[in-house]
Amino acid sequence: MGNEVKLTELLSSWEDTYKKGQLTLWIFLSLQEGKKYVDEIKDFVETKSNGTITCEEQSLYRALRKYEMIDVLQYELRKGNKGPDRKYYYMTDLGLELFKKFVDRNINLFYTEEIKKLLKP
Amino acid sequence: MKTITPYLLKFAVAATFLTIVFRYFLSYGIDNKSSIIIALCAILYGTAMFVCGWYFGRKDGEYLPIYDVGFRFHACTYLVHNLISVLWFTFNFNSSYEQLQIIYITALIWGVLLIIHLLFYLLARKNSINNLYKKDLFD
Repeated sequence: MGNEVKLTELLSSWEDTYKKGQLTLWIFLSLQEGKKYVDEIKDFVETKSNGTITCEEQSLYRALRKYEMIDVLQYELRKGNKGPDRKYYYMTDLGLELFKKFVDRNINLFYTEEIKKLLKP
Repeated sequence: MKTITPYLLKFAVAATFLTIVFRYFLSYGIDNKSSIIIALCAILYGTAMFVCGWYFGRKDGEYLPIYDVGFRFHACTYLVHNLISVLWFTFNFNSSYEQLQIIYITALIWGVLLIIHLLFYLLARKNSINNLYKKDLFD
């Protein structure tokens, strides 16, 4: 196996593991921008992650239902262009607090000078 | 808190239909003193209910992974089966050889098992937040 092929396979394997659990972060990030309906959340996630995170609609709906059930998200109904009303999701106070704490503990550490230096190629 | 999901309702509809068909053939079999019909309809009913529970339960988990160790579907089966059985007698669809008392005794014994299941469900809730399994919340 050539090094290039091996590298691609290793990267793919690592990314598969890494991406598990990332969807929550990206959904919350998208809602930080404002209220969104499912298609807008999907577009945000896929565009802003440069296509590294893809989400099927069913997975997204399932995740949103779960977050709604645990009170971190809520939605309001607004008229769509056609068809039924759209659900515009937004983060509740609990969701905002959860997101803030998660980012503080897990994301912000990547912005410390020491880690930033290590991340430079 | 959402516990009555679309797939639980679909299961209830399917269980209602199957129970009515079962009661019909059971009464028919008893009236005709046919042990083959009685055994066959009981086996088919049990199998069909199991397949329905498995199918809708799986779909329900994909829709929303409520961590109830199967209690909602069990309670739904209990309610549907016993309610239809009582109504069967109320409207005199039963065989003349059937006794309402048997329905009550069955409901009582089954009710004890349901309560035991309820206890397991209450124990399982310790590992859940708003009825969702903690470890599956952000998977």
